[in-house]
Formats: sequence, C-alpha cells, structure tokens
Amino acid sequence: MRRFLLALLLLACGSAFGQAAEIAATVVDEHGRPVEDAVVVAVPSDGSVRVPAHLREASVDQVDQEFTPKVTAIVVGTPVRFPNHDNIRHQVYSFSPAKRFELPLYAGVPAAAIVFDKPGVVVLGCNIHDWMIGYIYVSESPYFAKTGSDGKALLGELPLRAYRVRVWHPQLATGEETTRKTVDVERAGPVSVQWTIALKRETKIRRVPAADGRGGGY
Amino acid sequence: MYRTAHRCARTLARGACALLAACASGLAQSAWQYDVDAGLTYDSNVNRAYAPADIRADAAFALDASAGWFYAVSGGDGLTFADEATTQIHHRFAGLNALEVAAAATYRHKFGLGYAAPWIALRLSAAGLQYRDDLRDGGRVEAQIEMGQRFTPEFDAALGGVLERRYARHDEPVVPGISGKVFDLRGQALYARAGYALTERLLVAATLAVRRGDVVASTRRDFAIFTASDAVADPAFGADFFAYRLRGTTDTAKLSASCALDGRSSLNAVYADERTDAAGSIDYRSHSASLLYAWRY
Repeated sequence: MRRFLLALLLLACGSAFGQAAEIAATVVDEHGRPVEDAVVVAVPSDGSVRVPAHLREASVDQVDQEFTPKVTAIVVGTPVRFPNHDNIRHQVYSFSPAKRFELPLYAGVPAAAIVFDKPGVVVLGCNIHDWMIGYIYVSESPYFAKTGSDGKALLGELPLRAYRVRVWHPQLATGEETTRKTVDVERAGPVSVQWTIALKRETKIRRVPAADGRGGGY
Repeated sequence: MYRTAHRCARTLARGACALLAACASGLAQSAWQYDVDAGLTYDSNVNRAYAPADIRADAAFALDASAGWFYAVSGGDGLTFADEATTQIHHRFAGLNALEVAAAATYRHKFGLGYAAPWIALRLSAAGLQYRDDLRDGGRVEAQIEMGQRFTPEFDAALGGVLERRYARHDEPVVPGISGKVFDLRGQALYARAGYALTERLLVAATLAVRRGDVVASTRRDFAIFTASDAVADPAFGADFFAYRLRGTTDTAKLSASCALDGRSSLNAVYADERTDAAGSIDYRSHSASLLYAWRY
C-alpha cells in the first residue's frame, strides 16, 4: 500500500513538472483591428526567470533599404547579426539606453554579432538612409512572442504558474506597464487573453519622393 | 559661351566616368536611382510681361527623368552623379517647347549620426538647352550649396544658395548696337525651405526664395522697358513682341503638397507666386500651378 501511494505521488509530481501551458494572446487596436508586430511578454509572478545558458543568434536583415523584420523580439543576452542584402552599404546604429552601438559602413554580414545585454527597447537606424527604422525588443523573460498580421501570438512551453503579461508595440500610445495583466496558468492547455491597445501615429521619415515642381525660367 | 556650358557638362560627365572607374571596386556597394516626374503645369504670365495687355498664360506638359548613381563614401558622406532629361510641351506657345539634358554631381556631408544630424550638400550641374525657338537655345551651369537639418521625423528645414549662369547660343540683334543675346543670363539666389509630414502619406512644404540677377520680359515694343534693358531680341510670343533683358530681383513663394500613392510614387500639387522688381520700375508678377506624378526606383 505504501509503495502504491509513493508511486501515485511520483506520478502526480512527474505530470505536474512535465506539463506546460500556453497563452494565446490577441492584440487589437481601439477599432478592433488586429495589431501586427506587438510583442507579448510573460514574466513569472514569483520572479523565477531562467534565461537559457546558450542562446541562438538572431538576425535583423537589411532588404531594399528597410530593416527586416521591422520588430525583432529576443531574450536578454542574445547575440544579433545585421546582414546587409542590399547592393549599397549601410551604417546601422542605435542611441537607445538599452544598447548604444554603431556598425561602421559595411556590406554583407558584419564579422561580429552584437550582444543585447540589457532589457528594453532598442531603436535601430541607418545613417545613410534616414527612413530606415527597426526595433529590437529585449525581454528579461524567455517567454515572449510577436503577433502576426492576425494580431495573434502564442506563448508556449510555459511552466504552470502565475505570470505578469504585458504588451509592447512601436506605436503604443501608453506605457508598456499599463497593459500588464496577471494570468494564472495552473493547468496545462491554452489560456486566451486579449488586449485592446491605443496606437499613436507612426513617426517614420517618409521615403517616397516628392516632386519639386520645377518650371518657369522662360 | 554656349561652348563653355557644354564643356562644363562634358567635364562633369568625364569626371563622373573617371570616378566610376576609380570606384569600380565600390560599384557593387552603390545604388542606382531612377526618378521620373510627369504632369501638367500652368503659368499665368509665361512671358513675364508687366503690362496687363501683354500678359500671356500657357499650360504645358512636363516630363523629367533622371538616372543617378549614389555611393556612400563613409557613414556621413555620400556622392551622387545623375543624368537628367527634361522636356516641356506647351499648349499655346510652341516656341517654348524645350528639351534640357543635364549632368549633375552632388556631395552631401552629415555632421554626426542619426536623422537629426545637420548636413551640408554641394551640387554642380551643367545643362544643354534646346528650344523650338532657337533664340532660347544655350547652356546653363549652376553651383548650389544647401544646409539643413531634420528636427523631428516629420519636420525638416534647409537654407541654400544658388549661383547660375545661362549662356545663349545665338546672337540675333534687332536693334543695331544692342546685344541680341537676351538669354545670356547670370543670377544668384538664396532660399529657405521647410517640409512637414502631416500624416504618413501627406507632406506639405514651403519655399521662400530671393533671386537677384538678369530676367527676361517679353512685351510689345515699349520705350520704358527698352531704356531699362541691355539686350533685345525677337521672342516666341508673336511678331510684335520683343524680349528684353533686365536686372531685377525676384521674390518667390512656393507651397506644395505631396501625397504618397505607394512606396515609390506620389502625387504632387505645387503653387508658386513670383514677383519681380526690375530696373526702370518694371514690375511683374506670375502665378504657376503644377500637378505632377513622381516615381522613384
């Protein structure tokens, strides 16, 4: 009997440790339209964040004189490369407090990756092409996902516990913390959470040419 | 003089070729850029006459195409070489139909990193001008300096100056002892411009310019303008019209609105008000409006 109870306890513990939950996040704007490129981050409420020791390198490409993807979400400590696929050189830089750096004018793939070692938002620019703008969201938690064009993101492989979940987007009109929700995932399986966020106008330098209306001088 | 302009154009073109050759290794890291502007333009006083009875208005179809090559010399320096062709086809005055072929070199330096860093640009251009009315044929050279800054992603402003010299090919005097090279002109201008993006698609801009130099007014025979002018010729506005070259100051105010149609093109409306105060109290005014489609690749 004692052996049977022990086996039952081990089975229960085993299943509890092995089980994982999911948060199915949906982000829409004030008009109910899906918001693409929103980063949804889940931070365990008990503060037990474990960042993996070996992080896979991420990549922010430059294609047709734009950053691709426009928004990249990584966990703190991730190395990122900036391959240039254009036939013109770029000079990528950031003034953001989370990571200040400058890659001198280059073509192809820069030799060294940049390690993003502080959480926060890093705004990318190119000194040659002022209209180029990109964002790297450096998360303190390994549990995050980015929404697609349908405004949906799935945070998977979450250990069963309570999380503080928040949303960030480049055009978010309010502070990121105002989006915070507590989501308790005590049982395995998906939990659906929806955010309605207010977006401000995108502040991007216009790339499209304007005619100068020459003429006169007859 | 016309040859001088052509020589300048050839020198610029040769310089561009030499630099292209010198930068052959860097060609793989340069970008070609193609621009086309096309549209309609209307001018309320196309002959720049001061007497109301002599004022002629006209509309024209304008097409401007250019192919340029941009090379980033360093993170803050860029060189652009471009060949441009412009044509205008007028509704009323066919003599004004023109083809202009130009070569231009632009060097731009940015004082620092980021979009808000101030910059300076130097531009040299030379053009050959071919009109249906031969009197206007010739060449033109321009040197331009511009300094500017983008203060926010939406707002930018610049100040600039232009030195220009236009050379007339033909000298057809109609008054003995007075030059017929009416379109042999020189001038200098200062300008300020600012642009503001109201929305992601809509950009508005304003330019104020002051130009001091030679101007050409075409009117019927007139003693007051004749005594103030230093060159007279027979222009494209009718048998009883004459073109007079005068010294004058022209103030121009220009407003434009540009609506982005997609990632590469825009529709542009431009309005300009030009007032000239010329020698001998010859003052005239003109308004022009354009609707242009602009495309860049």
